[in-house]
Amino acid sequence: MRLLRLISWPYLRKHALRSLLTVVGIVLGVAVFVAMHTANQAVFFGFERTVDRIAGAAQLQVSTGEAGFPEEVLERVQAVPEVQIAVPVIEAAAATRLAGQGNILILGVDMTGDRGLRDYDLESGDEAVIDDPLVFLAQPDSIIVTKEFADRNHLSVGSQLPLSTMVGDKAFRVRGIMRSGGLTSAFGGNLAVMDIYAAEQVFGRGRRFDRIDLKVKEGVPVDRARAALQQALGVGFDVESPSARGQQLESTLAVYAITMNVSSVFALFIGMFIIYNSFSIAVTQRRSEIGVLRALGAPRRQIRDLFLVESAISGLLGSVAGIALGIVMARAMVGSISSMLEGIYGVAERADEVSADPRLLGTALAVGVLTSMLAAWLPARSAARVDPVQALQKGRYQVLTAGESRARRVAAAILTAAALACLWIGTSLWFYAGYVLTVLAALLLVPAASLWSARALRPLLKWIRPVEGSLAADSLIQSPRRTSGAVAALMLSLAQVIGLGGVGRESYNSIVDWLDTALNPDLFISGSQNLSDRTFRFPKSLGDEIATVPGVSEVQPVRSFRVPVKGTPTLLVVIEMASFEKRGHRAMVAEDSRGMYRLTEAGQGVIVSDNFARLQRMEIGDRVDLATPAGRITLPIVGIITDWSDQQGSIFLDRALYERQWGDDTANVFRVYAAPGTDPRVVRRRILERIGPSQPRMLVLTNKEVRDWVLKLTGQWLQLTYSQVFIAVLVAVLGIVNTLTVSIIDRKRELGVLRAVGGFRRQIRQTVWMEAVAIGVVGLALGLLFGAVNLYFLLQITSRDLSGMSLPYRFPISIALMLFPTILAAALLSALWPAESAVRTSLVEALEYE
Amino acid sequence: MNDPQTRLKCVLLVVFAMVTLLAADDPRQIVGESERRTNASSERYEGLLRVIDAKGKIADKRWMFMRLGSHGNSKALLRFTEPAEVKGVTLLIVNHPDRASDQWMWTPALQRERRIALQDRSTRFFGTDFSFEDLEERDVDQFEYRLLGEQAIDGAVCWRIESTPAAKKISQYTRSEVWIRKDTYAFAQVENFVKGDLVRRLKHSDFVQLQGIWTARNLEMTDLRRNSRTILTLEKVQYNIPLREEDFTIQALRNPL
Repeated sequence: MRLLRLISWPYLRKHALRSLLTVVGIVLGVAVFVAMHTANQAVFFGFERTVDRIAGAAQLQVSTGEAGFPEEVLERVQAVPEVQIAVPVIEAAAATRLAGQGNILILGVDMTGDRGLRDYDLESGDEAVIDDPLVFLAQPDSIIVTKEFADRNHLSVGSQLPLSTMVGDKAFRVRGIMRSGGLTSAFGGNLAVMDIYAAEQVFGRGRRFDRIDLKVKEGVPVDRARAALQQALGVGFDVESPSARGQQLESTLAVYAITMNVSSVFALFIGMFIIYNSFSIAVTQRRSEIGVLRALGAPRRQIRDLFLVESAISGLLGSVAGIALGIVMARAMVGSISSMLEGIYGVAERADEVSADPRLLGTALAVGVLTSMLAAWLPARSAARVDPVQALQKGRYQVLTAGESRARRVAAAILTAAALACLWIGTSLWFYAGYVLTVLAALLLVPAASLWSARALRPLLKWIRPVEGSLAADSLIQSPRRTSGAVAALMLSLAQVIGLGGVGRESYNSIVDWLDTALNPDLFISGSQNLSDRTFRFPKSLGDEIATVPGVSEVQPVRSFRVPVKGTPTLLVVIEMASFEKRGHRAMVAEDSRGMYRLTEAGQGVIVSDNFARLQRMEIGDRVDLATPAGRITLPIVGIITDWSDQQGSIFLDRALYERQWGDDTANVFRVYAAPGTDPRVVRRRILERIGPSQPRMLVLTNKEVRDWVLKLTGQWLQLTYSQVFIAVLVAVLGIVNTLTVSIIDRKRELGVLRAVGGFRRQIRQTVWMEAVAIGVVGLALGLLFGAVNLYFLLQITSRDLSGMSLPYRFPISIALMLFPTILAAALLSALWPAESAVRTSLVEALEYE
Repeated sequence: MNDPQTRLKCVLLVVFAMVTLLAADDPRQIVGESERRTNASSERYEGLLRVIDAKGKIADKRWMFMRLGSHGNSKALLRFTEPAEVKGVTLLIVNHPDRASDQWMWTPALQRERRIALQDRSTRFFGTDFSFEDLEERDVDQFEYRLLGEQAIDGAVCWRIESTPAAKKISQYTRSEVWIRKDTYAFAQVENFVKGDLVRRLKHSDFVQLQGIWTARNLEMTDLRRNSRTILTLEKVQYNIPLREEDFTIQALRNPL
């Protein structure tokens, strides 16, 4: 403690800015770790909490995926002796038409019985109206909103709430406001309750329910009730606890967790090298103090421990700040992650529900402190090895940061061999082990690679500026380990940019290819601008009506919804196979020899997307189990095609088979092909004129509008790359500032001599600038090189565990070209302050030894 | 008295008197007799439903009630006529002697009917203090009875009888106590219990004899848990009027008169 107070504290105070930079390294790593996991957990737990709140006292839920089932099923459920209360539910997301409110989840319930399950704790309203379900039921425009939603939008009982429904924009009358808490907290209050039969009409459900929530009789074990229900309903129905819905999301989020984990490991590695760099500076600057301590009898262990304790304290402070920053970042990130939730429920979880898990914070704190101590280990060991005699000779040059070591290169070679062996085995665990080993091997090679690169750069630098260039290159060559911290951090950061950018760019290109070849209808008729929104359904007869419009050549009704397949919510796309074959120019990956379209049309198989096949490790001939209201069907895979409809994969089923098994003939989207030579815009106008008045919900989108919408969604993926570029620039600035600071301290005498023999201040400045640019160039070269390797791994991860898409390996040259000026400018910028510091060094102090 | 015929008449008179006396103390017979005396092939009335909540706030509704058949084997239609926002909403109740009734509700604004599930019968009848179950007719055979004694209600001496649902009867109530007037065999009061707690009390008053049937024109249901009450006032009561069987069907709900 005394050493900390006497030695460490004055140094920290004197170099407050640099100390801050050290902490920034930890802050950055911990913040990314905390942000990613907190945002992930917030969305997941938010979803679970929402499911619980919406489920109320329901112990079991009966459903058939998203397809819904006929109303008659309710009586079958209610007739099961183990069931006490069973109530039907419809869930629909509706746009509120209120500024900034987005979608609201409409819970359609039967108020005559639903109060047995859910507590509609009403705060205000005409008691006679609100407490009287008769008025609520008699008036189909009745709606009950949450207090949070009412407050946000200045709604009171009697107010009108405009909602986008199947019958067009419709004004609902607020007949009650639910008190805060419980149910009303779901989706941050963006929830409303209406009569289920009114909801069936306005959301085009026909006479079908989405789900039945139920409570079992007192004393009856839930498992027994589940078994009885399953027996009464048959295998086509899922009878699960409400929490099972959370498990569905968990499987969806699991794939994102992989990306997040990779990114946070990278962030921690980057942070580690920044810390390493900062402690190297500290050791260099405090060499004389260490010498005094050693001369006074301080053992090596004490010196080492002093630096380790300092690093632990820095780690602790950095971790605390990192946790705080991470939570702020999580709030910003949760919006994009919760869009997945929107895909399941139609309404986004609100960011104000983000809270950190204490266990995660504890882990982050431990990771921050341990990372910091690990990073400080080498500088601390160097400090412990300081020779007191040399250290006390003022100005005596001592190379503390030794050159690259042969042992490290050997270790890197061994790790590379091990990584290749892991990749050769190939299973998931070994693959990820191979990835980690490759990263470690690359890191071990950084000092050697830095040295080789600096040697290679020397002639170029000398050619640009003979004196300054040579000095700058020599500085890097003499002490490659001093540079390697910054270079390693920069390399990792840029490798992530290249990896993520490459995957993003290839995904984008593949989607464009898919749009060009497969998504070829001239018009799309949908209930929503968002084609993946499955809230609104049209009757099949609408397709027949559209087909009679002059200029329409063909209409494809499409019904899509999610079904659980091997526990993963998978998109089932129902389409008329003959038309699909005729119109769809899908890239075929594999096919049953008897013809995939013919077999699927005959109801003897399904076609699946290649990402489904890859994610589920399935191939032609493997059987897919589908639970339907009419019983379970098991169909072989007869074709695999390239399709980007869903990142979890898609299954294509013939419409006739669907109508038989699900008893549903609705469609989400009608794909319309115009007759040859007919302008699709004219057809669009005719459809709107003829059918629009009777179908106010109907939107007719052109192919271009749909393409633009898909590409806009895809573009969001690329945004991630740009945020990584920002992190790379930050890392470059931090790392280079630190490296140059060490370099200037190490070369104080050399720079002093240069000035004493007539060197200009301009030359000193330029030497430092060139050194900075050289570090930037080396970091760029290694970053692009390792980025090429990282891209391979990220493409593999995408194919294996993320979207299942097999993307071609193409190095993202445009991103690499963009990085050159960005990183070099950042390097130059970071050299400005150290260069001025070098110029202002006292000549007397620098030459004191001489 | 020595005349055998006279002796026989005396014996028969004594036996009849004894049977009547015994029957009068048999709670099941009392309830049965009450049921017999209110028997009518059909019934129609206009009802004013006044809900007075715990804060004293009053809400009124009006309905038209029609019943075909009687006591556990009947069909009833209850059509709301006021206020405007509930006008046309109709409840069809089909009572069965051997099981719980079937109930459907018609909502004109939606043009569709919905079934009121058996599990929902314990819920309040559209904001009143009656539950859906309270609207069902009580058939004497669906309960078991025990005479608890006699007690005066509004000055009229009544039999106090406990009724508990028979094994096959599904009810929200664990047991009920009914008070039947000794003079008219009309129900004077019913108290309903759930696990020992008194939850609802139905009081009959304003008795009048219409077409030979003692009819309470005022029914007041008190919900003791909510501390609110609902008063149903019967107007224009008619019995044994001609009603058509086909008007008491789901199809008829869809095409109201």
